[in-house]
Amino acid sequence: MSPAPDLKNGLERALGELWQTPVEVSELGVATTGARRRNILFDATRKNETLPLVATIIPNPAMQVMAMTVEAASLRLAFDQGMPVPELHGVWEDPAYVGGPFFITSRIEGETIPRQILRLVEAEPSLGPRIARQCGEALAKLHAADPARAHPDVIRPGPGVSPIDQGITTLEALARDLLQPSPSFALGLQWLARHAPAPPDGLTLVHGDFRNGNLIVGSDGLRATLDWELTHLGDPMRDPAWLCQRMWRFRNDHLEVGGFGSRKELRAGYEAAGGTWREDAFHWWKVHGTLSWGLGLAGQARAHIDGVVPSIVMAASGRRVAELEYDLLRMIQRDYA
Amino acid sequence: MQDRPTSAELLETLADLLEEQLLPATQGPLRHQVRVAGNLCRILEREARLGGPQDDREAELLRDVLGPVAEGSDTLELNRRLAEALKRGQDPALERKAWQALIEIVRGKLSIAKPGHDAYDFQGELPE
Repeated sequence: MSPAPDLKNGLERALGELWQTPVEVSELGVATTGARRRNILFDATRKNETLPLVATIIPNPAMQVMAMTVEAASLRLAFDQGMPVPELHGVWEDPAYVGGPFFITSRIEGETIPRQILRLVEAEPSLGPRIARQCGEALAKLHAADPARAHPDVIRPGPGVSPIDQGITTLEALARDLLQPSPSFALGLQWLARHAPAPPDGLTLVHGDFRNGNLIVGSDGLRATLDWELTHLGDPMRDPAWLCQRMWRFRNDHLEVGGFGSRKELRAGYEAAGGTWREDAFHWWKVHGTLSWGLGLAGQARAHIDGVVPSIVMAASGRRVAELEYDLLRMIQRDYA
Repeated sequence: MQDRPTSAELLETLADLLEEQLLPATQGPLRHQVRVAGNLCRILEREARLGGPQDDREAELLRDVLGPVAEGSDTLELNRRLAEALKRGQDPALERKAWQALIEIVRGKLSIAKPGHDAYDFQGELPE
């Protein structure tokens, strides 16, 4: 990790060069600090205009999932498609400014914490269905983007490999790394192989982590989608299926969409905005997402046990695996019970 | 035999300490870790009380699915054998029997790891 230069100076220098005018940065505040990225809120004043902005910084490039320029290109494409996202101002790979690669976007006010969003929805009953519908519309706009416009380095299946086959291969590899055999996960993998839907007509841009927790919501509904680091080319149905995972419902289990809306509203929004909904693929990716998250939790426990990432939170993930085994078995129950 | 308090009693005491005394006195990122630690003590307390009989039941259910080939295997080995058999994927009758056994086993695990998680059954969101 390179030494962190003065943040205020670095941001002023970057924006000054971008806008070709002196810039003053004020109201610096940290929104979130994770292992992989920091979000810094600030105001930038140029001439007589003040802009509310956010800098997303990768403090340690070794933790980078995807080059900042690739993520920024996906964000810009989503913006061009009319999907509600923050507007990208610039992206810098050079760590000399703020100690790591970063990009700067507009700052959109609203709620991002899932339980707070569910509280808003509880207070205003028409809001939940509206957000679910807006999520459908937003995803349809993203999926309508010409994949040829995606950044050439964006992750995609190998030549001739369908996203469905790729999805199975990825999980099989994760399952081989399990420290402890899971017959439930073995049955789930078998189910995925046997029920593979027809692949989509073509690959589309897929957000990859579209869920309650990566949305900005206000009293008027969905305002923006955050966190584009898992964006890839793949099967569009993967996005609505991920949004409908039980773990993003925060105990509102009966409301399939993020604990705030129904699949009917999500699908209506998706189709109204021109998307093609494939019910079999939607269900398949839901099963895939549950199995994937279960294997991911087992992987976190393994990272603790192996000493790679010693942490009580990672350790506790191991005792959450049974939740995903249960959800998985329930989702495939009609084929066995 | 150790003297009282039992493991379960001590783990409950530890959980109370973490949740009622330490959590309110903790700031910043450590708060989440203290909360997780408290929850882990609750899980271990339930494991100390329920874990033994439950492991026995798991082994019994797995032996029942696997049949005579499973004689003499411990619970870990039984799980490994069933996972291998399911991976081969050539026996629909085995898969149905396995599903029935696995849902009971997993619900048993949840009664320790996350009581109440199995109250939801997904019926309303499954394809016809």
